[in-house]
Amino acid sequence: MTVDRTRPAGALRRPPTAEAEAETEAGARAGAGRPAVGLPRAADRWPPLLGAAGLALVAAWAGGSAYHQDLAVLFAVYALIGLGMYVPFVMAGSLSMAYGAYAGIGAYAVLVAQVKLDAPFWLGWPAGCAVAVAVAVLLGLATARLSGFFLAAVTLLFGTAFQRWLVASEDLTGGASGMAAGAGPAVLGWHPGRGVLMAAGLLLVWAVAWLVDRLRRGAWGVTVRAAREVPLAVESCGVRTRALDLLALATGAAIASMGGALFATFQAGVTPETFTLDIVFLAVFMPLIGGLGTSWGAVVGALVVVETTVNLPVLDDSGKLVLTAVVLAVLLVAPNGLLGYLDRTRRRFAPGAVRGGRDGARG
Amino acid sequence: MADGALLRGTGIGKRYGGVTALDGVDVEVRAGEVLGLIGPNGAGKTTLMDVVSGAQDLDAGTLTLAGRPLAGAPWRRARLGLARTFQHPQLASELTVAENVLTGRLAARHSSVRGMAASMLRGLLSTATGRDECARLAADMGLDDPGRLAGELTLGEKRVLEVVRALAQDPQVMLLDEPFAGADATGIAAIMEAIRTVRRRGHGVVLIDHSVDLVASLAERVVLLDSGRVVFEGTPEECLASSEMRAVYFGGGYDRT
Repeated sequence: MTVDRTRPAGALRRPPTAEAEAETEAGARAGAGRPAVGLPRAADRWPPLLGAAGLALVAAWAGGSAYHQDLAVLFAVYALIGLGMYVPFVMAGSLSMAYGAYAGIGAYAVLVAQVKLDAPFWLGWPAGCAVAVAVAVLLGLATARLSGFFLAAVTLLFGTAFQRWLVASEDLTGGASGMAAGAGPAVLGWHPGRGVLMAAGLLLVWAVAWLVDRLRRGAWGVTVRAAREVPLAVESCGVRTRALDLLALATGAAIASMGGALFATFQAGVTPETFTLDIVFLAVFMPLIGGLGTSWGAVVGALVVVETTVNLPVLDDSGKLVLTAVVLAVLLVAPNGLLGYLDRTRRRFAPGAVRGGRDGARG
Repeated sequence: MADGALLRGTGIGKRYGGVTALDGVDVEVRAGEVLGLIGPNGAGKTTLMDVVSGAQDLDAGTLTLAGRPLAGAPWRRARLGLARTFQHPQLASELTVAENVLTGRLAARHSSVRGMAASMLRGLLSTATGRDECARLAADMGLDDPGRLAGELTLGEKRVLEVVRALAQDPQVMLLDEPFAGADATGIAAIMEAIRTVRRRGHGVVLIDHSVDLVASLAERVVLLDSGRVVFEGTPEECLASSEMRAVYFGGGYDRT
């Protein structure tokens, strides 16, 4: 066996040469030919295109209606929190429940920048990300030996404590009544309208979902996913799985903090009640509803969550009940989520597609 | 003897409560050598692999790899050039063949936190990085559908895949724990070829298997373990002909002191 490490990546996608043919024969599976490698290129192209089309539909539905715009932005905020949870929860398998706090950090960073520091709102975005990352890493180090239920419980406690802290630290956060920016966000003297902000938020969701999906399928994401199932084997390959987990937690916290920042930018205000544990529980279900196999599942899940809990309900507070029914129905009928269900249906018509790995598939 | 030693363990001891699993084991793997590790069930073969690879802590003794101390967590030891397979294959069942190999490759190339962060960023630019090479490594070993999920492989194919993942690390010493158990003829041939490849590169292999014949056909030297002790060390021919071998496998007496 010869291993030519200098051979350029992509060499295998060329039409089979005589040399490649000979190697295939050495592979000793008659008739198989040189296999296509990795994911089919179509799988790279279609999800971002379909995602863009879906988000464009959401923008079109919202149109000029203030209420619909509120909902569309709420969907974008939920989607970002769901995408933030996707990285550590679905990929790395650690269920941290502190995502309400990370979103809160992002939201408060935007308002603290505007109100307390008299700085431009957008400075709050990177600052919020940085603080959320720092908190996530510290929390990750502190809970290094915890997993499963205990990790969830401790991070849940942290989320609650953070909310209390927001109420108590009146000087910085405005206490129980929260903070409001006098004027809407401005970029170099330009005040973007609500429609522009909404479109920017939806665009951000698209970009983050696309990036997370690429992250998931890149070498790092693959290793994170492997470490979830066989940590000892991955450690024995020379990977410090703790570092992998911390990177995953930090990435998720940064994304969730952008969700909070989007909310604060659009609504020009935030209170300690904005990002409660409710959102965290909803965010856990988003990837389950949409499908664990791709980051777009979290986006689809966020759409379902906003539709069922906010837009659809005719009776007050019946939304959670509707959502519960939806979750149960999805788990029973499409255990791989809505996207997993669609993908399966598609494969029936296009057999032989080369698959990438999946996550948490149960059916 | 000291010069050619890649991996050396001296006075290795491991206890589980009152049970002595390893008792003062001295072991040495030289460059370009396959060391066979044989012995009945419970002799301490897998325990020896676990303490060498860091999956379990040593109670006594020292380990070196290419002259450097081999200690700490498994990832530290792997970075010094150690790769292993497992008696019960440890593969990510929901990842594909190529992706499982990619795990070993990532580790070999970007093991530091900074390297990993860099690899995250590179992943954003191109998800194909390394996949083709990993698929090729797997195909060279007879796993010619890189898109299959590892969970769908047969036991034999899983063992081959573990060896491919270990090869992707380009290790100095490869520890193989019963790689042939459950493998079919194609798999056995592929694994034997992989072992010879590692040897040709001047690296070392430790091979555990219950098939004494297979071990004897590949190994330059054989260590016979019984009850946590080395009872014989020599060429396969010497070992097969030894009274210790007969005593361990067929009962009867040898001087255990």
